[in-house]
Amino acid sequence: MTHKETAEVLIDCQSVWKVFGKRSAEAIKAITERGLGKQDVLKQYGCVIGVSNASLQVSRGEIFCIMGLSGSGKSTLIRLLNRLIEPSLGKVLVKGRDIGAMDAAALREIRARHIGMVFQSVALLPQRNVLENAAFGLEVQGVPRDQRNRTAEAALDKVGLSDWKLRYPSELSGGMQQRVGLARALASDPEIILMDEPFSALDPLIRRQLQDEFRQLTKELGKSAVFITHDLDEAIRIGDRIAIMKDGVIIQVGTAEEIVMNPADQYVADFVAGISRLHLVKAHSVMVPPGGWQGATQDLPRCSPEADIDALIGLIADTGSDAIRVEDDGNLVGIVTIRNLLSGVRGEPQARAA
Amino acid sequence: MDLSAFVPAFDEQVDNILFWLTDHAAFFFDGARVVLEGFYNGVLWLLNLPPFYVVAILAGLVAWRSVNLSFGIGTAIALACCAVMGLWPETMSTLALVIAASVIALAMSLPLGVLAGLMPRLERFLAPALDLIQTMPPYIYLLPSIALLGYGPATALVATVIVAMPPAIRLTSLGIRMTPNEFIELGEALGTNRVQAFFKIRLPFAVPSIMAGVNQSLMMAFGMVVIAGIVGSGGLGETIYGAIRTLNIARSIDASIAIVVLTMILDRMTQSMASSRQKMGE
Repeated sequence: MTHKETAEVLIDCQSVWKVFGKRSAEAIKAITERGLGKQDVLKQYGCVIGVSNASLQVSRGEIFCIMGLSGSGKSTLIRLLNRLIEPSLGKVLVKGRDIGAMDAAALREIRARHIGMVFQSVALLPQRNVLENAAFGLEVQGVPRDQRNRTAEAALDKVGLSDWKLRYPSELSGGMQQRVGLARALASDPEIILMDEPFSALDPLIRRQLQDEFRQLTKELGKSAVFITHDLDEAIRIGDRIAIMKDGVIIQVGTAEEIVMNPADQYVADFVAGISRLHLVKAHSVMVPPGGWQGATQDLPRCSPEADIDALIGLIADTGSDAIRVEDDGNLVGIVTIRNLLSGVRGEPQARAA
Repeated sequence: MDLSAFVPAFDEQVDNILFWLTDHAAFFFDGARVVLEGFYNGVLWLLNLPPFYVVAILAGLVAWRSVNLSFGIGTAIALACCAVMGLWPETMSTLALVIAASVIALAMSLPLGVLAGLMPRLERFLAPALDLIQTMPPYIYLLPSIALLGYGPATALVATVIVAMPPAIRLTSLGIRMTPNEFIELGEALGTNRVQAFFKIRLPFAVPSIMAGVNQSLMMAFGMVVIAGIVGSGGLGETIYGAIRTLNIARSIDASIAIVVLTMILDRMTQSMASSRQKMGE
């Protein structure tokens, strides 16, 4: 985790609020000064709180998922990050610059070159073919035709659509259309890609395939992404870190393992209850200190602290051993017994189980 | 106030205004008349330049390309029939009037419709005015124009333009307003400026609706040029009007057939232009 703390923060969202309604200015004042709640704001001012005091940081190269059900404010939050929606209060810094203070030209520039966006509705222009759609962002930036077509072709290659360049969006399946949407965002070579529930409308098989491809591609290209989803499985598959949102509030931010092992409240706990721990929980979360094991440790099968429970179960099944020796750089750091594994599968961290 | 005195007083004021305009703004209306008649005569001169069979064949070819082969053949034959009935000069003069009126009407209503689509306030202001124009009987527009522009094609042109404008304004404005929201958001997220957002996103989505407006305008213009026969528009309208006055029923039917032919040809052509755009947009 240490490398993340040193990595450059690309998006810094500081205590951002969004209140919708005609009297939002008064409402926001009442909220900050008198601590008015959601219900009272609706009753007294007729305003709806979209996002409430949200803070998050996205580092270079990180995929940050925002998970929440519909109405949780996640789509509002992602639009605050490129100022498609104006925040009522709070600041959003993109690459250290306050986008709330930018004039229209600077904002267009940062949207065009630094923040790509992919929509759930895909929004491919139906009158243009795939190549023209992929090149649309560059066209808007005034890139000459030859050059933008080359760049767009390269982007289409990356998403595996090079054979479909001259087709029209209506001829493509939903999954392919969303690949074009991704290629359009990639063509401008932004550092940050905002993904607004891009795969939610796709069928499960295609969705999983695109999730894996998206994660791989983003990592390969070294992009940062903010990924909105209502599906926790998707968030876990894709995200380096996950923020859970409810009623406009970010309840918890952490890695998938942190959220599954230590849910912040009952809401999150209920959410993660059905998630398989096999690939999430790592050896370092379930191991006990070496002193807790009576027998010899030298002959036990070995694993690293980052090995997941699935791998540990495989190791035990293959070797017939009752415990596994966890090694970091060749040093013994802990022991995982079958009991530890079983409680890990149930999602109980060792500290609680012991 | 005595009500019976009100009507003559009102009428007198209307007359006074018209007299005042003819006295004081004659230079303007004379100028307008010269320009409008010049435009109409220019179009008519162009249409009369080739012999009728060349026009019929050319129109047939265009109809073939824009609709299909059988419609193309039908178009050529139908136009030739107009010539056979001895109504070729009248048919061309009616066509010239419709073309001139539609060009003027569209040149004004398309920009106005676009502005109305972008500015809801203008739309709110225009809507009742358009309602008024469309609910008034079309004869009404002949009277003030004949008072100011005199008997002849200029008057017919003005009245036709007034009638042809509302549908184009309405449908253009509608098309501009109907841009799906996600595409407006896409434009913003990609950093388009206002001009780009209009020409690259809003306008392409509005084209089918605008083309439907063009088609409707043409149809309104055809309806009006026949009525405008009363004020000496020339062409088929005047033929029908004259035939009715002399109870020459056969002649009026000939002219009606020629009008139906023209209307159908232009209707189908503009409709197919609108729908071929739409097909791409699906």
